[in-house]
Amino acid sequence: MMSRLPDAHRLHLLHSVLCAVNLGAIVLDGDRRVVLWNAWMIKHSGLGHDKVIGADFFSVCPGLRGGRVESAIQQALYNNFPSLLSQTLNKAPFALYASPVAAARNERIQQAVEVTPIAVEGAARHCLIQINDVSIAVGREKLLREQAMVLRTQTFADGLTGIANRRHFDVAIEKEHRRAKRGGTPLSLLMIDIDHFKAYNDHYGHQKGDQCLIQVAAALAAMLKRPCDLMARYGGEEFAMILPETDVEQATLMAEAIRARTQELAIPHERNHDAAQQVTVSIGIATQKVDAPADIEALIGAADRALYLAKRNGRNRTEALLPC
Amino acid sequence: MFALSELENDALIEIFNIGVGQAASSMSAIVNEAVHMSVPSVSFINRAEAARLLDGKSAEPAGAICGVSQHYEGAFSTEAILMFPEDKSLEIVRLMVGEAVSQKELTEMEQEAMCEIGNIILNSCVGTLANIFQRELQGSLPQYHVGTSDEILIASGSLADTVVLMLHIDFLLEKHQIHGYVAFVLDISALHDLKEQINLYIARAMGQA
Repeated sequence: MMSRLPDAHRLHLLHSVLCAVNLGAIVLDGDRRVVLWNAWMIKHSGLGHDKVIGADFFSVCPGLRGGRVESAIQQALYNNFPSLLSQTLNKAPFALYASPVAAARNERIQQAVEVTPIAVEGAARHCLIQINDVSIAVGREKLLREQAMVLRTQTFADGLTGIANRRHFDVAIEKEHRRAKRGGTPLSLLMIDIDHFKAYNDHYGHQKGDQCLIQVAAALAAMLKRPCDLMARYGGEEFAMILPETDVEQATLMAEAIRARTQELAIPHERNHDAAQQVTVSIGIATQKVDAPADIEALIGAADRALYLAKRNGRNRTEALLPC
Repeated sequence: MFALSELENDALIEIFNIGVGQAASSMSAIVNEAVHMSVPSVSFINRAEAARLLDGKSAEPAGAICGVSQHYEGAFSTEAILMFPEDKSLEIVRLMVGEAVSQKELTEMEQEAMCEIGNIILNSCVGTLANIFQRELQGSLPQYHVGTSDEILIASGSLADTVVLMLHIDFLLEKHQIHGYVAFVLDISALHDLKEQINLYIARAMGQA
């Protein structure tokens, strides 16, 4: 198509096209030195030709050493295979910003990266790195996901108390458990049970029993301040509370606060053995430590056993156990 | 039908296990969790049989298959396709991404993530193949497909009696075990070349070459 143009002119045209395209283009030679860095890259990286051309790529972008981008470059230069780095699995590897304001806030452009080998006559193979700005698509999917979440919470709420139901708990504990494992953070679980609730129901009737559940659930759920915390109705008069990034000391403080808050409600309970004859709760605490990840069943099992222990030791108290 | 001896078959399984082992460690690095992959068996079947295998043995109508394909050429040319039942591909991507989303189809961004997973697995498998052939191949970027197994295999432009080298792949992440396939659509001369190269590999492994 361009064969009729003189070579020098052709080269100039190709260069201009590469500079004009609306994506990041970088070419590395066989020794991983930067030979091309287009205008889009200059604009979004803030690095001009004087700083990058001829320089070792990993001295220009030291953060990429040892990661997926480096292995993709290896694949292209040494195995002749192209690689794709999706935005989803690689969170914005290049330090690229839409504007100086975004740079100041450290908000990187969302990126989809392709690394392809380029054969060069009379020289070792080069590779082309293309960077696409996928920020808009990412934003769109985030919105979609949020809407799906809203829809889901409607089917994930307990019909009586309005707090999360058991299904919601199952999904949330799975998610938080994975997050804790990946992030190397502790995770605590509280099992909360209203003391002598069957006797309450028998004495006051089921309608009163329901009201008691609603009142306790609302008061305890209101104690959660962080969006990642979750309180769910686990079954009958039993509630579960998921507390991510919470160690056993913090979880114990929380459990004590919950126990005290329940007493503050001062709901009369004539059949409770408690001296004040008011509704009280027993709480089992289980914490997964950072250095000893347990599976979900073990964590729930430990919280259950701790709750049993609290009941056996006289109710209206908290006990903590480690998962094993 | 094209066939390998037991020894050749075992050698090929060993070779592919090296390949997927590398792919698994790349994927572990991405998710920061243990990912295990293995190739328990390989088989040579024609395209129509491959489609039947993918659709499963049940009499019920098969669900959609999700595929990631790459074209490779050089010493020989092949279409390599990683395939999972669509629900399993959802499971893999969401396990890798670490998010639970209730949508029944992969979103655009998730499709791209699936392409990256396919790209890693296919490059590793073809890389080991190229290695035993002691030749260099060049590859295209991955493409995402959803459809019936036949539609995906046809997309490679092959005839119904074209021989397909099928790898069974076991993928293990967070207690979830997922079975999938990698199909290499090869022409007959590439197949004979492959047999020859496997024997050279065996001879080298036994110190006879």
